[in-house]
Amino acid sequence: VTDREIFDHVLLDRCISCGFCLPACPTYALTRDEASSPRGRITLMRALETGTLDADDDRLRAESSFCLGCRACEPVCPAGVQYGQLLEQWRDHQWRGRRRPPLVQVLLRVAERTPLLLLMGAVRRPARTPPSPGGPSLMLGCFERALYPGVSRAVRRVLPDVAVPADQGCCGALHAHNGESKRGHALAERLGEELPGVIVTTAGGCAAHLASVLGTDRVQELSDHLVRSGAVPRGELRVDGRRARVAIQDSCHLRNGLGVSAQPRELIAAVAEFVAVPGDGGCCGSAGTYSLLRPRDARRIVAPKLDALEAAGIDYVVAVNPGCLRQLQAGLARRGSTIRAVHLADLLAAAAGGKRLPRGVPATARAAGRARRLGGSVATRIRRATNRANSR
Amino acid sequence: MSLDRGVVAELEAIVGAEHVRTAPGDVEPYTRDATPVFRGVPEAVVFPRTADEVAAVLRLATRRHIPVTPRGAGSNLCAATVAEYGGIVLVLTRMDTILEISPDELLARVEAGVSTVALAAAAAAKGLLYAPDPGSRTVSTVGGNVATCAGGLRGLKYGVTRNYVLGATAVLPTGEVIRTGGRLWKDVAGYDLTRLLTGSEGTLGVLTELTVALLPMPATAGTGVAYFGGLADAGRAVSAIISDGIVPATLEFLDAKCIGAVEEYARLGLRADAGALLLFGDDGPPDVVERNLERIGERCAATGALEVTLAESIARSEALLAARRCALPALSRLGTLTVLEDATVPRPRIAEMVDRIDGIAERHDVPMATFGHAGDGNLHPTSVVDQRDEAAIGRVHKAFGDVFAAAIEMDGTITGEHGVGAAKRDFLEARLGSDQLALLRRIKAAFDPAGILNPGKLGS
Repeated sequence: VTDREIFDHVLLDRCISCGFCLPACPTYALTRDEASSPRGRITLMRALETGTLDADDDRLRAESSFCLGCRACEPVCPAGVQYGQLLEQWRDHQWRGRRRPPLVQVLLRVAERTPLLLLMGAVRRPARTPPSPGGPSLMLGCFERALYPGVSRAVRRVLPDVAVPADQGCCGALHAHNGESKRGHALAERLGEELPGVIVTTAGGCAAHLASVLGTDRVQELSDHLVRSGAVPRGELRVDGRRARVAIQDSCHLRNGLGVSAQPRELIAAVAEFVAVPGDGGCCGSAGTYSLLRPRDARRIVAPKLDALEAAGIDYVVAVNPGCLRQLQAGLARRGSTIRAVHLADLLAAAAGGKRLPRGVPATARAAGRARRLGGSVATRIRRATNRANSR
Repeated sequence: MSLDRGVVAELEAIVGAEHVRTAPGDVEPYTRDATPVFRGVPEAVVFPRTADEVAAVLRLATRRHIPVTPRGAGSNLCAATVAEYGGIVLVLTRMDTILEISPDELLARVEAGVSTVALAAAAAAKGLLYAPDPGSRTVSTVGGNVATCAGGLRGLKYGVTRNYVLGATAVLPTGEVIRTGGRLWKDVAGYDLTRLLTGSEGTLGVLTELTVALLPMPATAGTGVAYFGGLADAGRAVSAIISDGIVPATLEFLDAKCIGAVEEYARLGLRADAGALLLFGDDGPPDVVERNLERIGERCAATGALEVTLAESIARSEALLAARRCALPALSRLGTLTVLEDATVPRPRIAEMVDRIDGIAERHDVPMATFGHAGDGNLHPTSVVDQRDEAAIGRVHKAFGDVFAAAIEMDGTITGEHGVGAAKRDFLEARLGSDQLALLRRIKAAFDPAGILNPGKLGS
């Protein structure tokens, strides 16, 4: 048997097949099928590497996209398997050319067009300052600046010294996770040149990718940056005359890739009553492009999480990644829940006297419908664009 | 090779089409378990939900002479669930209902696919302890634990899985569903088939439901650590502790090589100059635990411990236990193929055995470090090499052959808790003798006349 050199052997040989990853895997929990577990997928990768299976194999195709890429398997792995890297290498090969999901193709091309990003920035009005040499800069994110422009404005209230230069591109995480890891690496390096010095980001997924290229000294997610710099959050968030009850949804890559999970909890607890909800460290199903590519599976993943949030009697759930924020907002709106999902920056800014958070009043059917339309509109537009691209 | 279409259609009729997998990519993840090197490609993977479905699959398999390999979570370390002869891999993870936790009868009834940790958590929620705690408990199934008679860290005080199995529902290869034992602590009607099925590695029947004994949850637990100049001193300490009338819940050791690897990996502040580390712990009422830990500490000091520390808090206990839990991951990072064995000797001979293991490793020029359960003599000599270095893998296998021979010579055994499976089949006759092995095969034939159930495993 000859190896195909699809994978880095040092990484692929690491797995000892002990199976300790199985209980940590959200997709294994759904199917209880070894094929949908990290160990099973590594067995499939090895079969691909040795030529036992081809990339055309239905199961290989299915599992390469069914995997959330949440990396919950990494912290529990006794052998130190870097599953996230293996998944990138797998998709680099598996999703070449016509095998790449068309929707991914569109997203990647949109994300790397800086003029388009600048246009989105101009229309949606995220924060904007001149570059400040030497000081920290805020990364705007390719889609966050359009979807949640308020987040960067909130960061400016919490971190007045941070610069937000408008002229910045995409970090490349989207590419790295979707079969273009070289391009993803190059984009991260380019962003590193555009934003010299410490880069603060409000997206856990971007933070992990960017840090894998530029290092954790230069790349700091917002909560990590605030805690490292010893910043003490100001004010208090109150609801109905009491301290607001606030839960968190971890960003998988932030937690599993960078080990940042205590920091956002510490910050929340400083301004509100922090409520630990079972499963708050597990994937919400947003998982980058996942909720667009596999909306049904994404909903199956988020359902038990929404149950747990509603059972906890909270006012707000905090996200530290725009994808998770969108997934939670859409899921809560579908249920007409009174819980509001907000970004950590919004929460801290509101506590400090900035823009008030949306009120957690019982949602009317109309409000729920509006949220659904808002949440779905981007996906719908992209899907239309995809169809156009395909029909060409 | 593939099953003929009629067989696949029958399987689909029994369990439903979505629970039968035959495509190469679908069966590939079931070609191996947690045992390195071993691989076997099944023609079908079948996921039954009930004992009746299992029975129908087995009747079909017996009629058509198709090998069947039962599988839980596939976390065993003896290749017991590798389909060496192809056929059907029968995965029981869909049978995952906890049927009953009974505080007044101190027992639980579970389907075979329930995970060990789920059973332990359900029992703990009612203030009860499911005592067996194999290293893979977060992954493994209760059915798999019973089929391999899984051990764990609490063997000395609490015994192993077999000490907790009260009853079993098993499907015979010919399709009969039998119930052995039950909710009784006393029952001598007939041969003890419950014990025969326990540790039978899926060669006699497919376990579908288990009744297991529970204990009241101990009020508290405590831990301490002692360093020694060498394993001989640690061994003397273990003997002194037990002859002092103490049966600790935890009594684990690491040799010098393990201490080095753990410290390199986890930086826990372990003493680098120590030749052996002994981790001890007990559970029960607070005053008893406190007194026992102090006495254990005194015994260690009296037998020449370099240093003894008692954990003053639960957090500190956890940190100490981490040293033991880190042993395997720390060692496994030294290479890409980790061979973890579990030769076992009578407790007083642990130090002597580790000496012999070191000699054997040197003679065969293989790296080998040893940690294990000092309380019950269950050693884990571990060898880590490069999986692409076939010469080294060959040397490791030769060395382990010598390790097993040494264990037998010292009134020990080739495997204390991992099982025989396919991995240690070649050493079984040396342990059992030819008469016992022949009897074992006659028993197998009585259960499984067509020889379809996990053929070849456990010497069958």
